[in-house]
Amino acid sequence: MVSRPLDIQCILPPHIQKQIAENGTDAQRSRVLQTIQLTDQLQAARQAMGGIPSGGTPAAAAAVKQRIVYSADNATNLPGRVLRQEGGPPTGDPAADEAYEGAGATYDLYWEIYQRNSVDGLGLRLDSTVHYDKNYENAFWNGQQMVYGDGDEDLPPDQRIFNRFTIAIDVIGHELTHGVTQYTGNLDYANQPGALNESFSDVFGSLVKQYKLGQAAQDADWIIGQGLFTPNVKGVGIRSMKAPGTAYDDPVLGKDPQPATMQGYVTTTDDNGGVHINSGIPNHAFYLTAIEIGGFAWIKTGKIWYVTLRDKIKSTSNFQDVANLTYATAGELFGVNSLEQQAVSKGWAGVGITMTQAEKPGCLPGLQKMLMGR
Amino acid sequence: MKIQLERSGGFTGIPLRSSIDTDLLDPEESKALEAMVASAGFFDLPASFLSPKTGVDRFNYKLTVADKARSHTIEFNEANAPESLSPLIKKMTLLGRSAPKG
Repeated sequence: MVSRPLDIQCILPPHIQKQIAENGTDAQRSRVLQTIQLTDQLQAARQAMGGIPSGGTPAAAAAVKQRIVYSADNATNLPGRVLRQEGGPPTGDPAADEAYEGAGATYDLYWEIYQRNSVDGLGLRLDSTVHYDKNYENAFWNGQQMVYGDGDEDLPPDQRIFNRFTIAIDVIGHELTHGVTQYTGNLDYANQPGALNESFSDVFGSLVKQYKLGQAAQDADWIIGQGLFTPNVKGVGIRSMKAPGTAYDDPVLGKDPQPATMQGYVTTTDDNGGVHINSGIPNHAFYLTAIEIGGFAWIKTGKIWYVTLRDKIKSTSNFQDVANLTYATAGELFGVNSLEQQAVSKGWAGVGITMTQAEKPGCLPGLQKMLMGR
Repeated sequence: MKIQLERSGGFTGIPLRSSIDTDLLDPEESKALEAMVASAGFFDLPASFLSPKTGVDRFNYKLTVADKARSHTIEFNEANAPESLSPLIKKMTLLGRSAPKG
């Protein structure tokens, strides 16, 4: 037991660490070693408590969802006319009720699993507008709310391609997660940071669906937007995290353009630098990691990705950065060289990205190694 | 007059392309389209309306109009599309939706 806990916490610069390791007396080396082990225990205890929700909201405070669903009545003025408020009964309008339920399911994943109170961590009200514009084959997050179109309901049935965009719960989770990203890592919406922004939305969109269905990683379909296509389309969904590039191959729509690995990275000026295309690569890294770890993907893999997004991602982070950061997070959450950390390394290797900080363990393990003469 | 619309982005990322040669249309349709281009003041619009904060999961557009004298392309995001272009975008989108997208 150390009499004067000296919480190193990586404050000691490397040259001082080296000095103690090389020149310290046995007693000095021993004291520092004990302090490291005590710090390790404290860190492990903190992590076991689930971490502190962002925004400073005390974990003990009641977190309550607040949802409102509006209709734009096929125009483009937002938010529109109120259809349903929190606690209100189903409206019978499928788009409105799906938007309501999906926002609730997304809120539940973030609060129950990650202790995040809504999009901003402070209980932000979840506003959704349905019936946006006419024949609108899209959904988006506008910085403040979700907006959903009705798809192709104006076309003759045999020509229809898209159903309403609330029909797939992962679309709702995807859009809300754009809000979470806005309040956390705030990845730029272009090129690699943009593809990562898209990927985090697909990842947590998929986890909302898997959590709702209680599916283990190996049982989930890992398809984004299943149900959006009508039976007229040759495809299973909009994107596949399990097999990017295979979600659809249709005479009218063309073929799913997503790459699964860095070899297939698409350089383009369309789509803000292909943010919906190259997201296939980090999506696939998440899938591979989740399958390697096994069990429910939201528990460990989702936690690694969430903590990374919340605490470490910057607006300009690229794929290599996020590979390194998720690897580091896995080490902090589950231990250096843990199976979980190794799974993250494998996941990124599977898409052609190797860690560039694998040889530099965290400050404490590094010092520990040095003092124990390893 | 040749008009070409390219749409990218959006939640699905599935592109849409449509092009039309007004010389190949019947006179009424041809006039209507050319009028849309004129009332938008198309050839005087700046080349880019894109901004760093353009909408997440919203559509990006590239619209090109070429007549015998000149050709002009403008790029914009759905979030900041010039209002005056709305009828032309709607018309070209309708055309593109019923055509192969590949």
